Amino acid sequence: MSEQDSKKTKPLSRRDFLKLLGAGGTAVAFAPFVPWGNFMPNPSTASLEKAPVILPDGTQANLKTFPINHSEVITYPKTGDRVLDGEAFRKWQFIRLPEELGGTKDDISSFRAYSMICLHLWCLWKYWPQEGRKRGECPCHGSMYNPVTGTAFAGPASLQAPPSNTLPQLNFETDTDGFMYISPVTWGVNANGVVGYGRFVK
Amino acid sequence: MAVSLSRRTGTVAFINWIWDGLDRTIFTSIKFSFPARFVSPFGFLGMLTFITFIILGVSGALLMFYYEPIIDRAWDSVAFINDEVPFGFHIRNIHYHGSNAMVLLAILHMYYQFFSGRYKIRNEILWVTGIILGTVTILEAFTGYDIIFSERAELAISIAASLTNSIPIAGPTIRDAMFGSGFHDFVLRFYAQHVFILPVVMLGLMAVHFPRFLVFDVPMVMAISGAILITGGVFPIDLGFKFEPTVPPGITVPEWYLTGLYAFLRTQYDKFVTGVLWPGLFILSLLLVPFIDRYKKFSWKDRPIITAFGITGIAQIMVTTYWGFYIPSDTTIPLVERLVIDPVYLYSVMIIMVPMSFGFSYMMIHLAKDAERKAKLAKDKGPKKVAKIELSEKWINWVIVALIAFMVFLNIAAYNAALTGMNNLSIFFAGLILIVFAGLFHVYRYGMNQANIPPPPPAPLQQEKLKALAEQPASTQMKELPDSTAAKSQKELPKNAPKETAPQIKAESSGHSLKRESNLGTSDVKKL
Repeated sequence: MSEQDSKKTKPLSRRDFLKLLGAGGTAVAFAPFVPWGNFMPNPSTASLEKAPVILPDGTQANLKTFPINHSEVITYPKTGDRVLDGEAFRKWQFIRLPEELGGTKDDISSFRAYSMICLHLWCLWKYWPQEGRKRGECPCHGSMYNPVTGTAFAGPASLQAPPSNTLPQLNFETDTDGFMYISPVTWGVNANGVVGYGRFVK
Repeated sequence: MAVSLSRRTGTVAFINWIWDGLDRTIFTSIKFSFPARFVSPFGFLGMLTFITFIILGVSGALLMFYYEPIIDRAWDSVAFINDEVPFGFHIRNIHYHGSNAMVLLAILHMYYQFFSGRYKIRNEILWVTGIILGTVTILEAFTGYDIIFSERAELAISIAASLTNSIPIAGPTIRDAMFGSGFHDFVLRFYAQHVFILPVVMLGLMAVHFPRFLVFDVPMVMAISGAILITGGVFPIDLGFKFEPTVPPGITVPEWYLTGLYAFLRTQYDKFVTGVLWPGLFILSLLLVPFIDRYKKFSWKDRPIITAFGITGIAQIMVTTYWGFYIPSDTTIPLVERLVIDPVYLYSVMIIMVPMSFGFSYMMIHLAKDAERKAKLAKDKGPKKVAKIELSEKWINWVIVALIAFMVFLNIAAYNAALTGMNNLSIFFAGLILIVFAGLFHVYRYGMNQANIPPPPPAPLQQEKLKALAEQPASTQMKELPDSTAAKSQKELPKNAPKETAPQIKAESSGHSLKRESNLGTSDVKKL
């Protein structure tokens, strides 16, 4: 009887209050372990500063000597660790455009660098300089990329909604001798793009 | 001699003490039976799957001694295992083909349970855990072939990571947490998942999934192991090309259990829908089958819609599996045209297969029922004889001796092949040895059964009957024996009749109550 009375006067019974305390105590006890989840991701610590364009043969790319309608694989950002630098996420197709697409000018406008990670299922695409191709092609599902803009024009990647239809890119600087450098990079869909995700075309 | 065997010596007492002590463990609730005669392997495909799991555990643990899960060393370490380490080729091939065997056995196991309606009668939990276990098995196999880090493995990893990344909202976080941020992490973490996390999950699921009745059939286990080795010898697995980030890979397709999924990915449709949602839907529908199936009967013939549902699934899996593999070899066609599967074409074929499979299933059910009815009608008229191979004690011994001699020869051949560097021949012979052992064990247990059957009591009244039997032309039972022996044993039969008739006239005693005991397994020792 008395219990019923107390229920009317107090909205919270003693039992419910205890349960609440128990739940609260449990939550507080395990709260410090939530940020421990940061153990799992392993974010890259490489600094995104200006870096020379180093070709696979070890020399620095020079816009006066680099052949027209040709591509090489470059690494950015470099960590100095041979193993980590071998990673596909750090690989970029460094392309000098063919003549008809404006690759003859000896300035940075004839050069492009796009992430080699295809935006569809993260295979590695490659630039094909052959007559009739002159485009980036992914061997996995056939996505094709326009070398001028980095936007997919055929295949599954072209059907993905922006920003996932345009490859992330690097911008260049050059010194008076024509040696090329990669400008500092900001990862973001409105900046240089996100590797494996894409970039909005401005 | 009999005395020393029957007395409990120190060692035997110790073993018995352990055996009795097991009464207090979890193992008492599991009833192991070691069949004393041939039983259809369809009934214990799950046990065979578990055996391949053990084989994979052992061979995988051995590979761990040499494998290095680092992107630029993974492929080289596998190449070292394959080419340099003594018998590394063997272990790697056992591990690779064992994984295929395990996936295949798990799929067969599932479909056998599906069509025989075993997921009913409160077996729903077994079924559901089995489906999850099967999914984890495929993930385990998938992570395994990824960490070689060949070109194909790299593409497989990239597809797995990007599919995870494509899950709405939580995807990138899951990918970051589970796989890490780059390929260096992917390889290392796929390795951690392959050798520890997923196997532990599987063991946990197995603890729930194991039924209380287990059949351990030595010949079939040996035959499966031998088949894995023989496949390794005939189709030794290659290393693929080492992945070089500066050299984009060529066209590759995944392992056979994933090409079905790959066909859907190749339709250009959204990667989350085709790569995550469709397989998820397939797994979900299998999970729900026992709750959808409201038929009161078990046989596939009595559950037409469920049977047709299963047949549809199998037909679609087979078609997409082939389709996923198929890439036109004409290199003049642009890559995108070779690789992309027209979604309208693929999905309309998938839809057309539904009525086709339903029609096929109903036709098969109709034919099977018709055949059943006819068999019932003809039951009284037709011959009742079942073809049997009946061997006398002497011949059982000779067969076993011959098989042992053959195994000795194969041992020499296998070792010689390994010495001369013919690794695949060596693993082939090793597999053959296991298969021969399977046969030997079967003949052995058959002989033991025969020896267990007590000779029928001497019955002088039977003499006439036996004589009549002996004078018959070679009966169907004798056909397997060489002619001369058959004739000889026929002649000898009347003389030795009271002692040695048992094997020859087994058909007569088939209803004998003593004969039933020969089917008891070792586990029944406890009961007796």
